[in-house]
Amino acid sequence: MTQEEEILIMPGAWNLPFRHTAGRFASRFFRELRDNKKIFGVRCPECRRVLLPPRPFCERCFASIDEWVEVGNQGTLELFTICYVPFLGLPPPPIATIMVKLDGADGCLSHILGGIDLSDVDKAPELVKIGMRVEAVWRDERKGEIGDIEYFRPVKSSRRA
Amino acid sequence: MPKRVAIVGIGQTKHEESKGHYMYHETDFEAAKRALDDASLSRGDLDTVIASGWDAIDGRTLSDMHTCMAIGGYLKDSSHAGEDGIMALVYAYLRIASGLFDVALVAGHGHREASIDAVTRVVFDPLFTRPAGRNYIITMAMQANSYMHKHGVSKEQAAKVVVKNRANGARNPYAHLDSPVTLEDVLASAPVAYPLKALDCPPESVGGVALILAAEDVVRRITDKPVWIRGIGWAIESYEMGDKDLAEIPSLAAAAQRAYKMAGIRRPLNELDLAEVHEATSFHELMDYEALGFAKPGQGAKLIDEGTTEMGGKLPVNPSGGSLCANLFGASGLVRAAEAALQLRGDAHGRQVAGASLALAHGLSAPSGAAAPTNCVAILERG
Ligand SMILES: [Zn+2]
Repeated sequence: MTQEEEILIMPGAWNLPFRHTAGRFASRFFRELRDNKKIFGVRCPECRRVLLPPRPFCERCFASIDEWVEVGNQGTLELFTICYVPFLGLPPPPIATIMVKLDGADGCLSHILGGIDLSDVDKAPELVKIGMRVEAVWRDERKGEIGDIEYFRPVKSSRRA
Repeated sequence: MPKRVAIVGIGQTKHEESKGHYMYHETDFEAAKRALDDASLSRGDLDTVIASGWDAIDGRTLSDMHTCMAIGGYLKDSSHAGEDGIMALVYAYLRIASGLFDVALVAGHGHREASIDAVTRVVFDPLFTRPAGRNYIITMAMQANSYMHKHGVSKEQAAKVVVKNRANGARNPYAHLDSPVTLEDVLASAPVAYPLKALDCPPESVGGVALILAAEDVVRRITDKPVWIRGIGWAIESYEMGDKDLAEIPSLAAAAQRAYKMAGIRRPLNELDLAEVHEATSFHELMDYEALGFAKPGQGAKLIDEGTTEMGGKLPVNPSGGSLCANLFGASGLVRAAEAALQLRGDAHGRQVAGASLALAHGLSAPSGAAAPTNCVAILERG
């Protein structure tokens, strides 16, 4: 048999700069977060759904959209997962990623959940409940980005000790 | 009339933890060579080749600069499906059905050069979704949780899928994970992202797969054991996870309905002899049962409880062990088609479903996980 040859590993990394245009829809959404701590969706003129994130057209009706609707700072947690392993590019675990349906919206916003101790693997899924009420926690220094909402946390009245 | 198309050659490498002596596209080369040998064809007999795989995962844009040559594409018609290899099968099918080409080779590979966790973050929208901590497995976990919550499916029921597939994979000489596990092993494995435990998730496997497709006019010159593509359908769904009911997979249901209609199948659970489905996680196999019409919405877990989809059951699902035993990230769907075709030729040694004549193969193409999945379903028949 052939003798063991040394196989080399060549490290690689991509760090490519982009300039993503937010366009008029996301720009207005982010300006409202930054300047007014308000969350806006858009309403499709045909199916009447209030969509988040705001967008220029409804993919189902294939209709242009131009109506803005303010939605609540509070909403219902529709879905979550809690990550227990470290993922490259994400904050250290445990982190809870959620879908939240803000009051007055038909679609959900993707965000993260804070204000809950997730350190106990067995207990954490009991503390985070589909259907629980959550509210936006705003950063003091806002830059006009989705992170201007630092995270969502359980609304006090339903928060458990 | 579109031409009828058959699979006339099948090649797979062993799928495994590492092939350190290979560059990433040498698995395409080995699989293509094996498929050509299987069909007793040479490179000169190919009219077109279609490679597959995600550039960002491969770490080179235009990764087909390597892969198309590795599968015999020099100076030939060639394309690259920048997604799971199951879509390379679709594009080759269309090329042959059109009558413009007679013989096509499609291939795909999996490697472990990339951090799938990190690279699959790039497919998410940089303004709204990427900052909210998303990657492939996180969105699959959210989908699994949605399904579990909506239908009261238990972690134990999902774990039974792992037990079934790992038992099957232990009989598949190509499988990466070739040892059986118990229900207790699955439930006691490390938490990854709720409700997924480590053993609910597929491994990352290194390997290659290739299929040769031919037009009806030339099939009989090549083989007396063709596997005919009787039906095929594919569909994409919304990228906006916030807009949809994640307990369902509507793109898979739409793909299946098209494939069933083309193949004249009305009662898939009764008519099919086996299915190879691309289960992204254990929970997803149960969801797949529903989208494929094997069970009513919310009833997928009944099939695993009752043993319907085990080897020896009414409709064995993933006799190969599925993605949970060998997962080429970017070609696991194409492996499903290869495994289904092997079954129909009677060549699935060690894992053969006796007398199989009609099979379903499902591939999922979605580096974004539950966002914008493209699903493809092919109905294959023994010739
Ligand atoms: Zn609409």
